[in-house]
Amino acid sequence: MKRLFAYSWVVACAWWLGAVTSAAQDVDKLKYPALNKLEIPKVEKITLNNGLRLYLLEDKTLPVLNVSVRINCGSHLEPIEKIGLAEICGTVMRTGGTKKWTGDQIDELLEGVGGSVETSIGVESGTARVNVLTEYLDLGLEVLAEVLRRPVFDQDKIDLAKVQERSSIARRNDDPQEVVFREFPKIIYGANSPFARHTEYATINAITREDLLTFHGAYFHPQNVQMAVWGDFQKQDLLAKIESHFGDWPREGEPIPALPKVAYDYKSKVYFIDKPDVNQSNIVIGHIGGLVTDPDYAARIVMNNVLGGSFGSRLFNSVRSREGLAYAVFGVYSANIAYPGIFYNFASTKSATTGKTVQEIIKEIRRMQIDPPTEDEMRMGKDGYLNSFVFRFDTRAEVVTRLMNYDFYGLPEDFLFKEKENVEKVTPDAVLAAAKGNLHPDALQIVVVGKGADFEMPLDQLGFGAVDTVDITIPSAEVKKELAVTADNVKRGQELLEKTVQAHGGLANFKKVKSISVKGTLLYSVRGTEIPIAVEWVQVFPDKSKSVMSMMGQSMMEIRNGGTGWKTDQATMQLAPMTEKDIVENDKDWNRNTIHILSAVDKPYYQAVFDGAGEFAGTPVSYVALLDQQGNPLCRLAISDKSSELIGKSYYDETPLGAGTIDESLSSFAVIEGVKVAMTTVRNLNGEKLNEVRIAEFTINGAVAPEAFDKPQ
Amino acid sequence: MLKLIMRLLAVTGLMVALTAPTTLGFDFSELEKSITEFTLKNGLKFIVMERHEAPVATFVTLANVGTVDDPKGYTGLAHMFEHMAFKGTSTLGSKDIEKELQLIAVEDSLFMILRAERTKGPAVDSVRLAQLEKAYEEAREASYQFVEPNQFGNVVDREGGIGLNAGTGADYTVYFMSFPSNRLELWMALESERFYDPVLREMYKERDVVAEERRMRTDSNPFGRLIEEFLAVAFKAHPYGVAGVGHMSDIQYYSRQEAKVFFDKYYGPSNLTIAIVGDVKTPEVQKLAEKYFGRIKARPAPERIATEEPEQIGERRVVLEDPSQPIYSVGWHVPELAHPDRAALEALVDHLGQGRTSALYKNLVKEKKIAMQVGAFVGFPGDKYPNMVLMYAMASSGHTNDEIETEMFAEVEKVQQELLSQEEVSKIKARARASLINQLGSNQGLAFQLAGFQALWGDWRRLFKELDRINAVTAQDVQRVAQKYLTKKNRVVGMVNTVQS
Repeated sequence: MKRLFAYSWVVACAWWLGAVTSAAQDVDKLKYPALNKLEIPKVEKITLNNGLRLYLLEDKTLPVLNVSVRINCGSHLEPIEKIGLAEICGTVMRTGGTKKWTGDQIDELLEGVGGSVETSIGVESGTARVNVLTEYLDLGLEVLAEVLRRPVFDQDKIDLAKVQERSSIARRNDDPQEVVFREFPKIIYGANSPFARHTEYATINAITREDLLTFHGAYFHPQNVQMAVWGDFQKQDLLAKIESHFGDWPREGEPIPALPKVAYDYKSKVYFIDKPDVNQSNIVIGHIGGLVTDPDYAARIVMNNVLGGSFGSRLFNSVRSREGLAYAVFGVYSANIAYPGIFYNFASTKSATTGKTVQEIIKEIRRMQIDPPTEDEMRMGKDGYLNSFVFRFDTRAEVVTRLMNYDFYGLPEDFLFKEKENVEKVTPDAVLAAAKGNLHPDALQIVVVGKGADFEMPLDQLGFGAVDTVDITIPSAEVKKELAVTADNVKRGQELLEKTVQAHGGLANFKKVKSISVKGTLLYSVRGTEIPIAVEWVQVFPDKSKSVMSMMGQSMMEIRNGGTGWKTDQATMQLAPMTEKDIVENDKDWNRNTIHILSAVDKPYYQAVFDGAGEFAGTPVSYVALLDQQGNPLCRLAISDKSSELIGKSYYDETPLGAGTIDESLSSFAVIEGVKVAMTTVRNLNGEKLNEVRIAEFTINGAVAPEAFDKPQ
Repeated sequence: MLKLIMRLLAVTGLMVALTAPTTLGFDFSELEKSITEFTLKNGLKFIVMERHEAPVATFVTLANVGTVDDPKGYTGLAHMFEHMAFKGTSTLGSKDIEKELQLIAVEDSLFMILRAERTKGPAVDSVRLAQLEKAYEEAREASYQFVEPNQFGNVVDREGGIGLNAGTGADYTVYFMSFPSNRLELWMALESERFYDPVLREMYKERDVVAEERRMRTDSNPFGRLIEEFLAVAFKAHPYGVAGVGHMSDIQYYSRQEAKVFFDKYYGPSNLTIAIVGDVKTPEVQKLAEKYFGRIKARPAPERIATEEPEQIGERRVVLEDPSQPIYSVGWHVPELAHPDRAALEALVDHLGQGRTSALYKNLVKEKKIAMQVGAFVGFPGDKYPNMVLMYAMASSGHTNDEIETEMFAEVEKVQQELLSQEEVSKIKARARASLINQLGSNQGLAFQLAGFQALWGDWRRLFKELDRINAVTAQDVQRVAQKYLTKKNRVVGMVNTVQS
């Protein structure tokens, strides 16, 4: 302070002082008139004979009709290997058209009148929303009925939804906030929990049209449907129309399984996700939360407002206003109706104040258990809730959809009023007790996404244990599913393969193959155009091969001769000896070759394991996984159930365009020397087209010059 | 072929649907009559719409100042001031205002001395600098000891206010909140006070908060990074070329005094418009407005920006190499909102990039599946001055910006060469009408619209005339503006290309 007074001469330039004014206002002295009476609009509940529940609220203010439908289903019902099924079902119900209209026609019909019908499926429920001017009420209701009852799930729109979903996956690490809010729930609920899990390429790829039809068929029945309608309508007219669109919807289907239970162990842990392209850390700290039906829920509402729910909360005051550490900061002990919420505290701060911000937040969490709310804080946290209660009723939409949701969960209609009564009774001690009972400042999980190199302190010095570095690299489409190597599946796999050999010309013909020569064109897909490249490949069993790719006078070569080989180096375009890794990769390629696989079926160098049934390019297939002698996956074959032909092959590979699953689709079969071979191969990498090989000449046991495999000059 | 016939049928059905209901039109004039306006002696304009369905009201204060008005070297100042408008007043937020103001003055003076030293470049005296930093730090902490933080927000919260916030755009700054309607006088007191007697306390800490906002929205987000670069390339003269949050070094530079000067210049009553929608009585509003806002002295309205963006003489491009996934954007310079071509431009962007039946969505998303998201709009980054039509797309995984660009330009060419069909024009008009009617449903939405139209057009009634403007647009108009503005010479391309880090 001494130094401060040493500079006190500068007060002379206080341009500011004149600003104090005489007409200043004291807002605490204001008296408010009584609030005009709130007329809570009455919602009419009607149940159709088939169990469909209606909630009607007329409102003539604007010539608009709104419908919100809640369907009892959700992504918690989808199998773990098909995460995204419910979401895609929710999308394609609407985009994929119905018995009466294609999806594109519905788009034209609705946009032509400025209306909308949209559907989606979330974790706990499905939703459909209609918004049309009342003059188009008939159109809105008919589209709704079509979409809910008679979706056809057009394959093209399924493909579109999958492209979009894959694109979202590719983008999911671009925004650090998205990363932290995705990863934190996985830590709390578990990575496989429906409350936290998310799609991957493999789970999206696994979804078929059949799955969507089955999902829709299982849950979209009238007894699972609630429909809230508000806006400008005539009740009798509306009821007659709803009856005509939905009255004959038969009640059927099984009861909906309950949500899974959440088990949580309180523990301390620090998770770090490195993102070198940002200069700000995104931090979430917390643990499991609670239910709205918990006895101290009302005290927690006040606790939230005091801790981090608003301007003037403790976190806002300290982390933002006092320390200037963050723009975005909040904390909330969230509560759901059907499963526990999460206690989470968030802030984003520059890299160099990451540790400090974590400590500041934890300090405030601890203080909630020590310092009861002050009088001012009670006014903000409790009076604020009570005074703003009227906003729960300021739109028709809120009133009617809240009632529908309460009904869905079996909460009493006056639940909100009970909540208010309970908040009125909350004391500072009750808030303190709620903080003591629910917050666990010594067992917090901390997730930090940021540029680790610029942090001011190592995260393991936070006192919350060792740091777990989380790898958020997006997994390739490779199916992670455990392969069941049972005696049954091995037997079945071998049998399927033998049938395939029969379908492709029989083992005797395969045994005669000593060499293969192939000439053709490879169409390389780049930026939407296909560049043709001439390819030639010669293979002499077992270990001599040569392949050449050429385009516009340039060529690239790969020669293999027993234990040695040469290949064109991509940087210098000169031939160089193969490295050990090149040899291994070359062997793998050969071991995945169709003729090699099929001709060895009697003395296999692999183990064939049946790996389930499915659909490949629209054809029902059985999958056979081939494992090498160490039990590592070699490739996965798709064998047509109808023809026993090998029509697909997939394997993991590292390509110059990134690592991932290569899917080969085999077609245009021709019979050469009694052996049926595919003349066209289309390759996808992670679901995107990579290239296509069209074979023009396929020769078996042709003349091959012995010097072809010598070291080239 | 079958598909084509089915589509034709659908379109025909549509025409019937469209021609029938025009007689059932919604009567906007009734609504218009429920809105009144009055202007205080100091020039402050109020627009009030009584709505008594629920005992609540929404309050919007629009200051006709935006980031476009940031002085050179002080980028982000309009936004900074918006933050400061939540810091309270002489009577709200201080434990002892006399002492606090003295210490604030000390803090300011020290900051100015420190800033002078900081900007000496090679001549900087590092020992003196360190001493000054320390002294300034102490002065700052000293002034904060009298602060009761966030009192403004606390009062709003405890009295039942919701949705308290503000936003700074290129053209203007809006402050908004909703209250139970019996808190009308409280709002009058709070809102008038902060524009009458604001105390810009904690400003030097708040700069760090704004810096974090910049890191969040711009530095750490690929869209933020692209927008900043795009604007810088698109506007070389006009201040629309500077992203509103400001440059990091400017954020750290400006002083409280400069913020106050900015406030005095741009927050005079004639530069403010207030819209109130909800359960209020207009005479009561007027009486209280005179009592509270009447205190503010009249000040001259600031000048418009005189700088004009020169005509572009060739295509401009900016390409960011970034570890994130591709983003593509292309913009064309177009005139300001009040220009007669604007309605046709709005119809054009609706046709190109709004909704599932738009040209870009149908081609790039539905058919070719090369983009996961597309859009087009006009009014980037603002409306008040000549601005841009912007089209954007996010490539589907495995696809590139080059593919996107080819298809986008093909769609632009199509709309330049072929007239829109009558159905397409009708669709644009039907959508505009439905969208306007739906906007009327929310108190807050309506308050924003009324204040915004008042500020941009000088007359809130323009809100209801917008439909007339759109309804007058013909297929020829759309083609004409597409040909006139969407040229190669006039365009700016900005993209994020993915490179692995």
